[in-house]
Amino acid sequence: MTDELHLIDAAKAGSAKAFADLVKSYQVRLLRFLLTRCASHADAEDALQDTFIAAFRYLHSYDPRWRFSTWLYRIAIRNAHKIRQENVVEIGDLSDEEDDPLLHCIAASETENLWVSARRVLNDDVFAATWLRYAEDMSINDISKALDRSDSWTKVNLLRARKALDAEMNRENNGKEAYG
Amino acid sequence: MDKLAEQLRDDAARIDVRVSDEFDRRIAASLEAVSHEVPKSQRIRQRPAAFWWASSLTGVAAALVLISLINTHSQVEDVPLVSPITSPVSVATIPSIDWKAESAMLTQPLKRELEDLQADLKKAEEKVKKEIGL
Repeated sequence: MTDELHLIDAAKAGSAKAFADLVKSYQVRLLRFLLTRCASHADAEDALQDTFIAAFRYLHSYDPRWRFSTWLYRIAIRNAHKIRQENVVEIGDLSDEEDDPLLHCIAASETENLWVSARRVLNDDVFAATWLRYAEDMSINDISKALDRSDSWTKVNLLRARKALDAEMNRENNGKEAYG
Repeated sequence: MDKLAEQLRDDAARIDVRVSDEFDRRIAASLEAVSHEVPKSQRIRQRPAAFWWASSLTGVAAALVLISLINTHSQVEDVPLVSPITSPVSVATIPSIDWKAESAMLTQPLKRELEDLQADLKKAEEKVKKEIGL
């Protein structure tokens, strides 16, 4: 964290190398998250690129009271939303389960994945809150800031998501036992 | 950590994501392009405190100059308390009236009345003086 603050200070002072190091430390995590929010791998990459450009451009306005990851995720969520809106407005909703970038990445790993069920049973914002909580280990407060929601919204929806995913996990386990 | 949280964390880590070299170069190039415009926008926001002081003082000085200019150049017209009567009729055409008046002469009873009033006034004055202890 201290290293990160040093990098942020150096990047604020104009060090391109420091910002490149920040990009390196976040790009895989952010891309993984954006793949769950975008309709295609290309869109996720575009959203990631826009996120880093916006972060670089507005780094001087970054408030160190926020965690840097929270700030970045907030920008990423907005960019993903913007790209999705543009796709819907310009060429219609092209989201297709076969092109789902998350499914592609999971298929590549050849294992069953609870996040696929999460995508099916949770809406976008609740999915994002769940992701930030369990994949990114963010606090309730940081998740609320990243999603621009209240703490109570985050708590309630995380609880609902847990119940829904618990049920899904039990169903999958029972299925395995039945056919296993 | 409970079972669900552990499962979610492990499954997230299992999502196979790779950033290609091409994409790396793309990000580097776009950041390089942006880096030329960043100092300009930061300069606007990060002006020294002296700049804000100087601009504030200039504003105050300009306001003072404006106020003094207004005060020295404004001429307050002398507005007459009574506006002159403008008569549509020429003064020469008004006929003069010969008033037959005589100056009043004080008669004896009136003079006595005045003396009585003055005496009453003197009495009242003495009474007041006595009351206040003079």
